[in-house]
Amino acid sequence: MIDASKEKKNKLIDGICKTFFLAMAILSSSFIVILVLFIFMKGISPFLPGYEFGQVNIIDFLFGTTYRQDQGIYGVGFIVINTLISAFASLLLSFPISVLCALFIVKIAPKKLSVLMKSVVELLASVPSIVYGVFASGLIVIFVKWLASIFGITTAGGSSLLAVIILLAIMIFPTITSMSITAIQAVDKDLENASLALGATRTQTNFKVVLTSAKSGIFAGAILGIGRAFGEATAVSMVAGNKLFGPTFDLFDITRTLTSTMLAGLKETSGLDYDIRFSVGIVLLFVIFFSNWLLNSLKNRIGKNS
Amino acid sequence: MDTCFNVTDLNLYYGEKQALKNINIDLYKNKVTAFIGPSGCGKSTFLRCLNRMNDLIEGCKIEGNILKDGINIYETKTDVVELRTKVGMVFQKPNPFPMSIYENIVYGPKCHGLKNKAELNKIVEKSLKQAALWDEVHDRLHESALGLSGGQQQRLCIARAIAMQPEVILMDEPTSALDPIATSKIEELIETLKNDYTIIIVTHSMQQASRVSDYTAFFLLGDIIEYDKTSVIFQNPKDKRTEDYITGRFG
Repeated sequence: MIDASKEKKNKLIDGICKTFFLAMAILSSSFIVILVLFIFMKGISPFLPGYEFGQVNIIDFLFGTTYRQDQGIYGVGFIVINTLISAFASLLLSFPISVLCALFIVKIAPKKLSVLMKSVVELLASVPSIVYGVFASGLIVIFVKWLASIFGITTAGGSSLLAVIILLAIMIFPTITSMSITAIQAVDKDLENASLALGATRTQTNFKVVLTSAKSGIFAGAILGIGRAFGEATAVSMVAGNKLFGPTFDLFDITRTLTSTMLAGLKETSGLDYDIRFSVGIVLLFVIFFSNWLLNSLKNRIGKNS
Repeated sequence: MDTCFNVTDLNLYYGEKQALKNINIDLYKNKVTAFIGPSGCGKSTFLRCLNRMNDLIEGCKIEGNILKDGINIYETKTDVVELRTKVGMVFQKPNPFPMSIYENIVYGPKCHGLKNKAELNKIVEKSLKQAALWDEVHDRLHESALGLSGGQQQRLCIARAIAMQPEVILMDEPTSALDPIATSKIEELIETLKNDYTIIIVTHSMQQASRVSDYTAFFLLGDIIEYDKTSVIFQNPKDKRTEDYITGRFG
């Protein structure tokens, strides 16, 4: 016989748990709402009439090619271009290396080496960005300086667009690699066997079947990677040089990204120069959303067969 | 009768465990030979010896000879890639590549350096016709192969194997993942294919073996217990164990 009181009690516990989980879900999702709302409210205020430190023209802000706090000129147009250049260039540099490395780890390396390399990649992913930053400002800049001197170019102590690109490429490498490893491991062994049974070589199989079957997961890794490249502030600020105007197309010239703009001197400033960083934050959010949308639609297009 | 494979004293070990024991068998050209037996009896393992797919399994050791056209395929100088172009394979689960139907068929020829578009088109049409799939897919060759039904996918895999113009097609339980209608289509196909190819099929279904094959080998615990014409095996088996198996007393 079913105990009626026990059944009632169970129902009550279920109800309490349900409510509790719901509360947690609302709490965590409200963080993102609060964050976006706060950034937007703060970031939009400089463009509204009656702004206490003098209204900023939104067109000048979005399309401007000079950013000088000392003269009160805030134009982020060139910074957006700089950010896109450094992020996509680092992806271009890192992507083939990461994918081939993942392929090696999963398909080619002997078991022991594969396990070792996998943990190295995981370790790289957990290195804090400030550590990458000191590494970049200690070593990458020296390399860039040396490289520039071969071409007879003088750099700002090595701080340059190239240094940012190399730094970001290193930083996003573990992200793309570990996603690619997962994607390649998930490829059905049957497909590989089918290819080998058709008389394809190992290399042909790896490139034509394994990588093409894993492409959607590999692409997801690229999207995560470029997200990190866009968002990285600390390390980038240490080697960017924060140029006052632009955009920067010269690899050996200093540059300025949206994140380095937001970060540089944040603690020592107030008024418009402080508030405008929230506006730059909004721009950064839009750049990331747009790039994600672009890469996602590209991913869906190339991945439609798998 | 011409033989396709002559196997003598074949032993196969997975690590310490012996999976095939002293196999001796001649497989005939342009016939359908079925391997039957309970799970784990070594019939699939033996099938994979014939195109050296066992090479891919770690810890797999093989002794003995498998002669194909008089040459031992386990000699060190044998080109495995070339062997596999002559000995094609169809797997248990349909495994088309995540590409278009067309790309699936031309994959093998392309891997071997064929680039001529007209020739590739010819191969696609011929292979799909031989695999009895052309009428169903000729108007959507460039759509994903994954959109096909299970039975169509398996016929595509057969077409993909045919595209290499092999001498032998190995089939590892090709219908075990398919419904009865798709199964009967594949069986009809095997019937027509044997004019051009030697077919060796592993099957769990004794009805299938008796329907499609000319010769049947009964495997048990890594041994070939009996090998004869299919009619003899099913109507007049010499060994008690064969009789017990085909009458369903175990397996």
